[in-house]
Amino acid sequence: MTGVVGRSVESITDALRSVFAAERVAATDGFLQRRDPRVSLCSLAGLALAVMITRTLAATLLFGVLTVVLAWLSAVPLRRLLARSAIVPLASALVVLPQAVLLPGDALVQGFGLAVTDAGVAYVVRFTLRVGVGVALLSLLVMTTPFSAVVAAMRELRIPVALVWVVAITYRYLFLFFDELQRLILARNSRTTGRSSVRDGWRDARRIAGTFLLRTLDRGERVGRGMRARGGARPPAPYGRSRTIDRYDYALVALAAVAVVGSGVGRWVL
Amino acid sequence: MGPVIEARGLTHEYPDGTIAIRDVTLSIEQGERVAVVGANGSGKSTLQLALGGLVDPSAGTVAYFDETADAEAVRDRLGVLLQDPNDYLFNTTVREDLEYGPAQLGMARDVANQRIERLAADLGLGDLLDRPPFRLSGGEKQRAAVASVLAFEPDVLLLDEPFGAVDAHYRERILELVADHEGTVLLFTPSLDVVPELVERVIVVGRDGSVVADGPVRDILTDRALLANNGLRPPVTVQLFEGILETADLPLTVADAREYLLNEEQ
Repeated sequence: MTGVVGRSVESITDALRSVFAAERVAATDGFLQRRDPRVSLCSLAGLALAVMITRTLAATLLFGVLTVVLAWLSAVPLRRLLARSAIVPLASALVVLPQAVLLPGDALVQGFGLAVTDAGVAYVVRFTLRVGVGVALLSLLVMTTPFSAVVAAMRELRIPVALVWVVAITYRYLFLFFDELQRLILARNSRTTGRSSVRDGWRDARRIAGTFLLRTLDRGERVGRGMRARGGARPPAPYGRSRTIDRYDYALVALAAVAVVGSGVGRWVL
Repeated sequence: MGPVIEARGLTHEYPDGTIAIRDVTLSIEQGERVAVVGANGSGKSTLQLALGGLVDPSAGTVAYFDETADAEAVRDRLGVLLQDPNDYLFNTTVREDLEYGPAQLGMARDVANQRIERLAADLGLGDLLDRPPFRLSGGEKQRAAVASVLAFEPDVLLLDEPFGAVDAHYRERILELVADHEGTVLLFTPSLDVVPELVERVIVVGRDGSVVADGPVRDILTDRALLANNGLRPPVTVQLFEGILETADLPLTVADAREYLLNEEQ
């Protein structure tokens, strides 16, 4: 699959594959990397929850600033954090975009019998930002804590094993999904010569979609065997990476607790 | 002590109607080193999966350690290395992949860490531990997959082509690690050159998925007709000295051949 479509799919796939890999960020020294994984999990999930229940743009922006500060303290490159977090809010922005014309309010732009309202735009911006900041906080967790440590922390916090299992399997299969797509495209490119038009690219993309589905199912089955061969039929039990809880851990948990309570109260009062 | 693996009447048919293995009956004793050889598509990998309890055969039974037919009950004692290392490396870093088996199977963390560090040093994985597996080369993935099986120190190793993508240096290292393994080894391979260095018994799987021969390594690897009928060729050293030496004297390994030539020179 060559041409613009092929190259686009290839670069997007490669980026997404990297997104699901811990790479080296979790191994670097930083504020969140030094936290106990249980503390990181509770605090960042708590902050993400606080963002989701907040209603005001100012509060959402404040959480956004906090996310950037935490990333900076943890030596997480902002570009990488953005790349990792951007897809979900962009997709959700598309979903809520019609609200820009559906919500009543003062018209900002009019045309084709539709009016983009100030209330509608504010809603779309607020919603997208909330999702973006929430996803960025959860991305920070995975980028600064080895994934097996996150799973171990979930087990230590006695989160129901079925939920832990679903999280562990989903994360791994998402990673494998993009890995498989990348390999399929590489194999295809190695047997394709010459330049192709955008139309040819789309036609090729349609062709490989079916193959990709079959290969993904096959790979899933084979990886399932690879997991079972090493005890994967048992509940997830990675080695924990608990540390001594220090004052910074307590401070982070307290910050998250205050944020959740504050957002809840704010939502109820405002 | 009874057999560590005993299969009776194993047959496996895939949903498309392909019969991969056919009425396989075999018994592997504690400490035995056995190669299962056969041409491509003869069903070696399916046989490995069935013996490792990773596919449910259409017919027949497998018993483990003379005590159970449930592979999951003895999973910590079975080290099954799948043919494609990509099926084995599904975590976000190589270290997490090496820790996966020991953690899931309940090995103490400090014991596992020592073992992993030693394997990483032996197989040249030290600098790769924090890298995502998909960034590794084919040979590096193969080494990581081999390490991930050896990491939890299983009693029985069932290895499907563990030397496929590795270079000569690491092929030797893997050979040494497997040779040093104190338990039972089953090696599934279509390449016979490595077989005499590791095993004393060979099982030949025919093109129809049935066992067509089972015997001492020398008897099997010097039987050209048997091998040719089943899409196999003898080791290079056997081919080289065939017709020059008696069958019983044919060198099976390069070391044997070298020794013979040096003796001849004197």
